[in-house]
Amino acid sequence: MRILRAVFAAALAAAVFWGLHFRHGLLPPLGKLVNPFAGFWRNGDRPDPALEVITLPGLRERVDVVWDDRRVPHIFARNDHDLYFAQGYLVARDRLWQMEFQTLYAAGRLSEVVGPAGLEHDRLQRRLGMTWAAERSAQAMAGDPVINGVVQAYADGVNSFIAGLRPHELPVEYKILDFRPEPWTKLKAALLLKYMAWTLSGHNTDLSQTRTRDALGEDFVRSLYPDFPPLLEPIIPRGADWGFQAAPQAADGAGEAPRTPQPPASVPAARDGEADPRGVGSNNWAVAGSRTRTGFPILCNDPHLNLTLPSIWYELQLTAPGVNVRGVTFAGAPGVIIGFNRDAAWGMTNLGADVLDWHRVRFRDSSRREYAYGGGWRPVIARNETIKVRGRRAVRDRVLYTHHGPVVRLEEEEAAEDWIPAGAAMRWAAHDPSVELKAVYLLNRGSSYGDFLEALRHFACPAQNFVYADAGGDIALWSNGRLPMRSPGQGRFLLDGSSPGDDWPGWIPWERNPHVLNPERGFVSSANQHPADETYPYRLGWDFSSFERGARINEVLAAGAGFTPRDMEDLQRDGLSLRARMLLPRLLSALRAATLAPEERRALEALERWDGVFAADSVAATLFDALWRALNERTWNDEKEAGLESVAWPMSNVFLDLALNRPDSPFFDDKTTPGVERFDDLILPAFQTALGRLGERLGPFGGAWRWGRARGTEIGHLGRLPGFGSGKLETPGGPAVVNATQRSSGPSWRMTVALGPEIRAWGILPGGQSGNPGSRFYDNAVADWVAGKTYELLFLESPDDPVPGAASRTELRGAR
Amino acid sequence: MIAALAVFIVLGVLHLFTPYWWWVMAVPFVFGLAYGRSAWRAARTGALAAGALWLGAAAYFQLAGSALIARRMAGLLGIGSPWVMVAAAGLLAALAAGVSGLAGFSLRALFRGSSKTR
Repeated sequence: MRILRAVFAAALAAAVFWGLHFRHGLLPPLGKLVNPFAGFWRNGDRPDPALEVITLPGLRERVDVVWDDRRVPHIFARNDHDLYFAQGYLVARDRLWQMEFQTLYAAGRLSEVVGPAGLEHDRLQRRLGMTWAAERSAQAMAGDPVINGVVQAYADGVNSFIAGLRPHELPVEYKILDFRPEPWTKLKAALLLKYMAWTLSGHNTDLSQTRTRDALGEDFVRSLYPDFPPLLEPIIPRGADWGFQAAPQAADGAGEAPRTPQPPASVPAARDGEADPRGVGSNNWAVAGSRTRTGFPILCNDPHLNLTLPSIWYELQLTAPGVNVRGVTFAGAPGVIIGFNRDAAWGMTNLGADVLDWHRVRFRDSSRREYAYGGGWRPVIARNETIKVRGRRAVRDRVLYTHHGPVVRLEEEEAAEDWIPAGAAMRWAAHDPSVELKAVYLLNRGSSYGDFLEALRHFACPAQNFVYADAGGDIALWSNGRLPMRSPGQGRFLLDGSSPGDDWPGWIPWERNPHVLNPERGFVSSANQHPADETYPYRLGWDFSSFERGARINEVLAAGAGFTPRDMEDLQRDGLSLRARMLLPRLLSALRAATLAPEERRALEALERWDGVFAADSVAATLFDALWRALNERTWNDEKEAGLESVAWPMSNVFLDLALNRPDSPFFDDKTTPGVERFDDLILPAFQTALGRLGERLGPFGGAWRWGRARGTEIGHLGRLPGFGSGKLETPGGPAVVNATQRSSGPSWRMTVALGPEIRAWGILPGGQSGNPGSRFYDNAVADWVAGKTYELLFLESPDDPVPGAASRTELRGAR
Repeated sequence: MIAALAVFIVLGVLHLFTPYWWWVMAVPFVFGLAYGRSAWRAARTGALAAGALWLGAAAYFQLAGSALIARRMAGLLGIGSPWVMVAAAGLLAALAAGVSGLAGFSLRALFRGSSKTR
């Protein structure tokens, strides 16, 4: 009896221990986590001491850090090594989990942390060759003594933080997911850059374009998705004298005028979404002194990304002999990626040139050891991947590489993502070794246009539109990266992996990247749109953002003079929709002529009163957005082609051109009715569809339909932990307006820099400096970001400069 | 009560200097094994000491800068209020300590042979 009782009691205790000590599915290890002495309770918010002294073995001399009232560190080091060591240490202190999680994500190692739930993602990352690419770039970094030193010092700084980390000090996500940090390495720095390359250049529509062509013909594709659509507003102003010609093989349709879309016999169903599914909306511009009040240039940049908490960017100032730079960087990247120094400022938007192709592979036999190429056979190189899975046996995979790159999806496999073709090798610019950090290093130290160019040479992928301005008065914009030279027609459709003629013939010489210096119009700008018009001798792709944002920025900049930084911030917040301005008169006149129900009439009245601005409290913005979608659906959805499930909507340039200039285009005819419809016939039914949908989703017409509520924005936690995000925010801004804020994306950083003898700058990020969800500096800027406010960015010359507001100091000292 | 106080102090010292949560199981277990006078008392002593310690410590941190993280954790675990998290910390420790105190005593009873529980 006693034995039975003892066994029972021991089993009960063991069960409780088991239940509380381990993670069970999504349930964190509650014993560890709730323990007030080492669990999440210790991740609270403590005020910083006025002066903190930390001894760090590995540091050579003293480093002084001034923290301003938003907890931005201003780091003053006496040599480069200490500068990057201190950056690594301090960023790790604020963002360690984020740094590690992003690199685990990129490397396809999430399963080690989250278990089988991460397996599908991990397998895809391995297949994409992310680690292979990072290894090659890490090797290239090691070959550059300066960058090698920078990255190593940074890693040493991170590792010195990790070494001193006591269990109760672990970032809370480690406690929730129950794992421990591993040492930071150069490879991780490279992985982080590949992660950004994937986000910004790792997507294309070759598969859907090929399917559409196979079903409907190449003319259909070229007319709905032209290389150069109507309403083009290129980044490099028209009329540029390029001063060179392309090699003959790259003259794909150069000088070809946009063609009027000719509908085929039938039009397949549209995908529910925009032609640009990434929904990015970055902007940058620089205004010459001739258009500013002070006579010195002003530079602006708001890079848009999928927003997360902890914030994507980390703000800081880095000072050492030879460098004093302020701006933002990624957690894990040494230096300042977007920012300014005393003499110059720079910013980026994504270029979006096509740097990823698919080559169909024909293997010799089922062993897949050789593939056909150039009339013979070439050996396949296999890379064995072992995916460790928490709580399970490791999963092995063999990734097959041709000389193009990895075969991401074998013929017999299901698609991990629907745009990845089966049986094709991926040729991606980011697979080639490059040292983007060298560009960052040089940008941080540059003071002239010449320095800027020297830096850009090293920035390969993801290619960016770099805007530049300096106190000497130069403004410039470079659509810059390592961009493949293409043979005619190459890059839009799947290619033949056995044909040497389908390989990239080479790279566009760097100095021929589209660029402009001090244009007559007195400003430069970019908004992810086409970098150049038809006269540019090389083909860079076709799937760029539509014209509206770029056109709006250019219109405002061209119309004004005597600009101040405040004017520039107004433009960053600008919500005017060119779509609405162009299309609305036509929609209104059609609706006015129609017989409307009372609620429909009220909705029409709201549209009539609308100024075309996507404001958070605008009901009309919600109406217009829904109407725009319904019109596109009615235009593209009315028939299906056999074997083709969907066709991407063409970009708004094409739709607007048809609606306004060719309203009797057969595209607008509803094939399901006997009659022949024109664009105007679509408007009322689309309006009714839109109202019906909104009513279903938002309730009766009224204030509840306001844009901020109907669309809204949520900044989720990077690891998707519920309760760790921002919750729903009623943001202004919208599709294809300068403030291109969307449901989960938006300006990840807003910066305005006024150059001159005394540089001044303003900025804000949607979050805060701290990566700790328990800190008020985790999301302290979110409300001001929603409201469109910015903060002046403190730029110190010396650690002894006066600092307004509450500030504290940290002294980092080397140990002997 | 004195026993509970002793366990409370020992636990507190161990928790302050080590990160292991399972002291709330180990200490009551050892107590039950070495000094337990009945199953009920061994369980109660452990539960009382550990529960009070975790409850008090959680309440302290809740008031001393951890309110934000407690609110986020309450959101994560689907619990309404951070103060429920404080109570949950106490209850969790009490439960773990109670069952291990009981287990400790049961083992003691096994070794003690015929000696009756009192």
